[in-house]
Amino acid sequence: MALDVNPDHARPWIAAANPSHPSLIDTTHCTDELFGFINVPMAVWIDENGMLVRPAETANIERSPLRDREIPDGLPDRLAKMMREVKEIPDDSESYREAIFDWMRNGADSPYVMSPDQVVDASRPISNDHARAAACFAMGEHLRRTVGHDAAVPWWREAHTLFPENWTYKRQAWTLVTTPEGATENDLIQGPNDVYDGNWLDDVVRLGGGKSYAVRPRFDRPER
Amino acid sequence: MILTSLRVPVAEFTELTGWEPKPEGMCRGEVCVPAPGALDNGTVNVEAAAERLGMPLVHDPKHKVWALGVSTATGRALASARAIFPSSLIDGTSNTNSNFDFTSLRGRRMIMVAWASW
Repeated sequence: MALDVNPDHARPWIAAANPSHPSLIDTTHCTDELFGFINVPMAVWIDENGMLVRPAETANIERSPLRDREIPDGLPDRLAKMMREVKEIPDDSESYREAIFDWMRNGADSPYVMSPDQVVDASRPISNDHARAAACFAMGEHLRRTVGHDAAVPWWREAHTLFPENWTYKRQAWTLVTTPEGATENDLIQGPNDVYDGNWLDDVVRLGGGKSYAVRPRFDRPER
Repeated sequence: MILTSLRVPVAEFTELTGWEPKPEGMCRGEVCVPAPGALDNGTVNVEAAAERLGMPLVHDPKHKVWALGVSTATGRALASARAIFPSSLIDGTSNTNSNFDFTSLRGRRMIMVAWASW
């Protein structure tokens, strides 16, 4: 499920993947609030009865090749710093993949399945600022769609201030102002710009660096 | 949740927030919060419900629209482990912006993975 306010940005990727599973697009980021997503990739597990059995957590299933890529000499300073931070992002892909396989094999008997109370307790804490940020992001997206991009900016700036740890609000907004007009793919560098105070690299560093960037899956839960 | 009025049909409020008016209050799954005044003549009084559920309400007077934030009533991002499947998600395999019907997945285990083009 793609978190993309413009569905045409997600469709080429879906077409290229030619998936055998449903592929959805959430143009309002409503699943941020319904499931607790604050970055991508994140996932929730839902059982046959429609119950969440794991809360929102980082959902890599393979090691990113960026982790092992050498940083070339002469790379622009900001790009080199970005690559260093990316290498610091914790890699839980192997254990997460194994957990998925275990759930597929064992269903409710999998040790990775949480009880309803455990799922709620393991979901992230939410403050009034976080909840207000959700309202501000939704308002911004509504106005972007119905009035124009500039109408969204004050609301999205407010959302970024209220909930800086929500990367979906920030990365979504940044890429719309840092991607050159006519580009076929979104800008992933999301560098300094004239519209928003933040940018990917400086915000990652400010919030603790790559090692703090992901919501790591927790497999150390108590027995049910 | 975007609103053009502070009185909303019960079904619409429930679908978009997961909170449903019941005799014991506003309920989501097994969690109920007492909410006197939230149900008014068959509609949800959004200001009353928002106050009881700890949902911030922001307003853009120029465009005459409100946006309702997520509930803080339980202090956790998930108020309940019961999944809510929004009807607004688009089927990305089609170019028609048609909404995806989750009933096609009823009774199946699923992993909902969030990704993005950005």
